[in-house]
Amino acid sequence: MKPISADALRRRIGDLGTLPAMPSVLQSLTECLSSNAENVNIERVVELISYDKSLASQVLRMANSALFRRRVEVASLREGVLSLGIWRIRDLAYSCTLPALLGKSKEGIAPTVFWRHALGTALVSQHLAQRLAVPNVEKFYLAGLLHDLGILVNSILFPQQFPAVLKLAETSETPLYEVEMQELGFSHCESGRILAEHWRLPEDISGAIEFHHHPPMDVPYTDLACTIYLADLLCRLRGLGYGYYEAREFDLAAEPSWQVLQKRYPAAAALDMALFTFELDEHAVQVCELVDSIFSGTAVSH
Amino acid sequence: MALETQAMQTNASVDADIADPFLLKLRDLIYRVSGIYHQEVKFYLLASRVRRRMAVLKSGTLADYYDRLTTRPDRDAEMRSLLNEITIGETYFFRSKPAIDALCKIILPKLMALNVKQSLKKIKIWSAGCSTGEEPYTLSIVLLENLLQKFKGWSFEILATDLNENSISKCREGLYGDYAVRNLTPELRGRYFTPAGSLLKVKDEVRAAIKFERLNLQDQPKMLFMKGFDLIFCCNVLIYFDGVAKKRTVEHFFNGLIPGGYFFLGECETLFNVYEQFRLVHFPGATGYHKPGPGEPAGGAA
Repeated sequence: MKPISADALRRRIGDLGTLPAMPSVLQSLTECLSSNAENVNIERVVELISYDKSLASQVLRMANSALFRRRVEVASLREGVLSLGIWRIRDLAYSCTLPALLGKSKEGIAPTVFWRHALGTALVSQHLAQRLAVPNVEKFYLAGLLHDLGILVNSILFPQQFPAVLKLAETSETPLYEVEMQELGFSHCESGRILAEHWRLPEDISGAIEFHHHPPMDVPYTDLACTIYLADLLCRLRGLGYGYYEAREFDLAAEPSWQVLQKRYPAAAALDMALFTFELDEHAVQVCELVDSIFSGTAVSH
Repeated sequence: MALETQAMQTNASVDADIADPFLLKLRDLIYRVSGIYHQEVKFYLLASRVRRRMAVLKSGTLADYYDRLTTRPDRDAEMRSLLNEITIGETYFFRSKPAIDALCKIILPKLMALNVKQSLKKIKIWSAGCSTGEEPYTLSIVLLENLLQKFKGWSFEILATDLNENSISKCREGLYGDYAVRNLTPELRGRYFTPAGSLLKVKDEVRAAIKFERLNLQDQPKMLFMKGFDLIFCCNVLIYFDGVAKKRTVEHFFNGLIPGGYFFLGECETLFNVYEQFRLVHFPGATGYHKPGPGEPAGGAA
């Protein structure tokens, strides 16, 4: 296979017409939420989502699914924003909008498999960050959801080469990232970064997307990138990967990402990672149900 | 008819138990005492096992039963009875596919590449607490299928021990019903079993490499002689030991492994805070414990 240089990649992606634009509702939502939390206009957020009736009902259904539900059922979007928090509603809007936008590709990873991994990584990132008592946890879900966008970019821009890369990863039971580097000379990390810039995502989210396979240790988004790295790995280990067997053994305690988080957050010492993976299995079942319901448009079971 | 009504009543009480906060407290208690963790998807199973003990004791509510397990003078004996009930039926052939995949695809190739294995070319396995033999026979079949066919010149031996003399007799008989072999493909049944009335009898070639022995894991002098294993399996045994006995036994296992060897517990057991020399390692769908080999990071982080 002829490798594609990083420059060629940029040129190719420079022709951005082939890449989907960010849905306007997400764009407005992101702008609206980038101001300080106290300045966020709740009515405006509710209004933005309500424009799209099917999005609004999907967000509401998801808010009431087993993975997000609070004690009391959420009956309206406004209630949802107030009880789950404005960040969570943004997360749900992203979770409901993107699969429809990017889930049509026939080549490459099956859309349901991809979004199970994305949603799984989002939930595990947020859960891990909460367990470690990392501050500012509201970004971890979104970064987890978006971390592998580059895989979709690669399927769109390299419809010949990328499915072959995927096939090779599957037959050799090797992590996708390794096969991309070996066969293409770049990975979904770089292409994900380019889409993130195109979409004007916040810098820490773009950084976490670009570096989620080799997190830098001293940047403002180190916590985020390290957590995404681990959550991605854990999901691939517990049945929420790319749909094939990766013949690899992982020693989390030897992973630099885990060591950094362990040094920064004392709560890590009390975390039984074997138990954490068993708990992940519980959520995996619900993640699969939820993603299937997003695609089929049917009601999420309670 | 009467039986059916009784079964329906039991199902109704189990459904009620799943919503009872004392079931969560029980789950956490069992985890603290034994290291067995019940995922929420298995609450139905946990509740029905607990119900059986409650019926024996004529205990009416989970709260009352929890009290019997925590504050009564005979609480330790009752905890043992409950653990017995929980682990009943946990043994059948090819119980954990992820663990078998990890063994064949990742662990065996790694062990066989170790320098120390090059002269004798023999894999040594210990099934500690082998119960009625499903585990050692499964391992034997897995190795016959994978090791001997793909790697010429290699052989294996399995030591299978249990405290219970009756279990060892059952192992030697090698007779199994439908329940025990339900995960086996018809090909494997045909290749490694012969029909014996309504049962299946293990063929001699599966037994050839297995030695069955009665052994008490608390027998310190004997445990000191258990050396040179590449793999040790000990499923649902340590759960019955108190903290001190557990740590001592795991230490024997650690010393019994060659550097680079692996130790496996039951599917939902963890070694957290029991013994620090092992490293917790993750495989797709399975977790295990690794004794560091040459050039690998030392323990202290499991």
